[in-house]
Amino acid sequence: MCLSDRGLFSGYTAGPFYDEMFSAQGCARSHYARLFEKLGVMAPTQFEDRRKHADLSFLLQGITFTVYSDGRGTERLFPFDLIPRILPQSEWARIESGLSQRVVALNLFLQDVYGKQLILRDRKIPPSLVYSCRHFRREMIGLEVPHGIYTHVCGIDLVRDSGTGEFLVLEDNVRTPSGISYVLENRLVMTRTFPEAFQEHEVLPVNHYPAELSRILRTLSPRTDPDAQIVLLTPGIHNSAYFEHSFLAQQMGIELVEGRDLIVDGVVVYMKTIYGLKRVDVIYRRVDDDFLDPLCFRSDSMLGVPGLMGAYRAGNVALANTPGNGVADDKAIYAYVPTLIQYYLGEEPILRSVETYLCDRSDHLSHVLSNLPSLVVKSVGESGGYGMLMGPSAAHAEIEAFREKILADPRNFIAQPIVPLSVVPSYDSAAQCLAGRHVDLRPYCLYDGQKVTIVPGGLTRVALEAGSLVVNSSQGGGSKDTWILRGEC
Amino acid sequence: MLSRIADSLFWLARYIGRAEDTARILDVTFHTLLEQAPQPHGVRWEPILSMAGEETLFRQFYTEPTAHNVFEFLAFNPDNPSSIMQCITKARENARTIRDRISREMWEDLNSLYLTLGRFDPQEETAAGPHRFCGRVIFGSHRFHGVSDATLPHDEGWDFLRVGWALERAEMTARLVDVQYRNLLALTSVGSTPDNHQWMAVLKSVGAYEAYHRQYHSPIEPARVAEMLILNPQHPRSIRFCVTEMQTSLRAISNTAAGSYANEAERLTGKVLERLRYSRIDEILDDGLHAYLTGLIHQFNTIGEVIARTYFYYAGVA
Repeated sequence: MCLSDRGLFSGYTAGPFYDEMFSAQGCARSHYARLFEKLGVMAPTQFEDRRKHADLSFLLQGITFTVYSDGRGTERLFPFDLIPRILPQSEWARIESGLSQRVVALNLFLQDVYGKQLILRDRKIPPSLVYSCRHFRREMIGLEVPHGIYTHVCGIDLVRDSGTGEFLVLEDNVRTPSGISYVLENRLVMTRTFPEAFQEHEVLPVNHYPAELSRILRTLSPRTDPDAQIVLLTPGIHNSAYFEHSFLAQQMGIELVEGRDLIVDGVVVYMKTIYGLKRVDVIYRRVDDDFLDPLCFRSDSMLGVPGLMGAYRAGNVALANTPGNGVADDKAIYAYVPTLIQYYLGEEPILRSVETYLCDRSDHLSHVLSNLPSLVVKSVGESGGYGMLMGPSAAHAEIEAFREKILADPRNFIAQPIVPLSVVPSYDSAAQCLAGRHVDLRPYCLYDGQKVTIVPGGLTRVALEAGSLVVNSSQGGGSKDTWILRGEC
Repeated sequence: MLSRIADSLFWLARYIGRAEDTARILDVTFHTLLEQAPQPHGVRWEPILSMAGEETLFRQFYTEPTAHNVFEFLAFNPDNPSSIMQCITKARENARTIRDRISREMWEDLNSLYLTLGRFDPQEETAAGPHRFCGRVIFGSHRFHGVSDATLPHDEGWDFLRVGWALERAEMTARLVDVQYRNLLALTSVGSTPDNHQWMAVLKSVGAYEAYHRQYHSPIEPARVAEMLILNPQHPRSIRFCVTEMQTSLRAISNTAAGSYANEAERLTGKVLERLRYSRIDEILDDGLHAYLTGLIHQFNTIGEVIARTYFYYAGVA
């Protein structure tokens, strides 16, 4: 079945990028064939109706995020695109094993860096690079963490390179990755909006995520008490991921707490309830390291709990994710992850990384400086699309300003070639038709020390603006439901 | 239950209650005045402002208490912390901070009320009169009660909501009776027509008009209106009814048997309730209604503070 001027697809052309729905000849790929058939006969007005229905449902549920760029913080809908991103199970299986391998290696790296530091002794990675990571925490050295797990929850960003059609790892997020609530809500809204599509496809379910996370958190409890008290620590209602914090707490049936709800007394953490203080055993914290405990990290933090790290060190409370994880998702360390996989597991990486230039290596730096207009430059400790230079679309002045920044602090920057991201048909509401838009994929990995559990798929983020490669919600990106289809197609 | 969550539930209920009360009073007063001989704006609208307790603030924004100004001030003004829109905004904000603890239905219902009211255009509504807007608020409040009742587990959280609702209502009814009684009797004494319409308006503003007639089968008399709104054991907006609700919920929270009390909030509530149970309206009027109601309002404030101290704040704990 191939593209012709059909309904929503009228005017659609498979462009120069890898189109996940259509082959280069403009024929629907086999795992997309049924959906293409369905959408092809759908009237644009009918599609528009369903789209409005989906938007309304997000609005009524208040599934919004907060943007601060205007200085006030406004609630915005995270745009949802109705055309799902579909992957066959065979392709997913490879991604899944590649992610598991990576998560295990990152966890071993963290154990090592905060433990015996064998990898530094063996000179596989420069010690200065590790110690200069912005999120390296001296406070964590020599501290035994429950079951040796650091990376309880990881969100690893993947992109499909249009050149090869292969999935590459773009970055690791092992501190407090967010977005899983959108995966679950997108699926819910999708099943309500397009129920008939689910009847014709065997889509692997995703809604076991909260139960699995809850199970892992429970195993961390220092007390064997079956009523172990698990809480989710949020910075509060003004945090951009607040919806997710409250969603997860509700789904797991645990208390959602702010720093001011907790108190440390005699190196034990308690929460303030209407019936008095109640002991807390495990904290799934969504507050950054810096703000976790003013006595240990930033002393001006109002979001944290004074004395929390003392209780953690004493083994009276467990934290997930472990403080200090930021050393593993530093964008300069990223370049060494293949080395880590070989060093700790003796395996070749299943998923390749994007070629990366470290600006604090003089040979790399000169290459970067002479090729700025064709590279993407990233600040190593940032996330969420902040502190980035997209060479090809940047103005001359912007590039020059970045050049100054890089020269002033080379360790703080890395550069990568622009990956021509794959596209998925997405609805362009202005033109009222479908057009190819660039996407990435963030699967969520849960690690209990024995095995890595990944809910099938993850969050597909889409750059809704024509030609844009930036998918971050803070930069105008949207999302799609991601379907992993059972069996072969 | 976390103290912060109990606090949020309590205030969530109070904000919604306050929005509903303001909407009721606005709507009824506006429509009653339509059928009356013209009087100076002050005479007509001052009482409403004093009921809301915001006369001073009003003067900062407006010179004349015209229908238009009063409606704009009480319904929409973002600088009036008790305006209906501000109350609903704060209620939603509270609900948002505890949305993991209330039912999905409660959140979605309140969020949709907020979104709906936000689409009303203040200019247009002040020109069209308060009925459409106020109707939405009143109905929204009722619906929220219903949704909460039907979807929230009836545990401590539910009881904190009920205490909030009851306390807010009790206080508002006391203010309403106090202000209207003084105002309407003053009108009588200076010889202007003290027609029944204004007393009817008072009853209607608390939804007690039909109930009054079923109860008394007689023309409207000020003393009976006061009796109905203060001492009636069954009418859901009478002070006695509300205080009974408060007592029931407070006891459920602390798991205390009838006839005893576990904390100061319960003791004070019980004391107020006993007086309401054994008082007659003629005694209250003889002793002075204004002093009686002012005393009640003061005690409601104290009870609110004591509840906060007992359950919400940790003295000496940061």
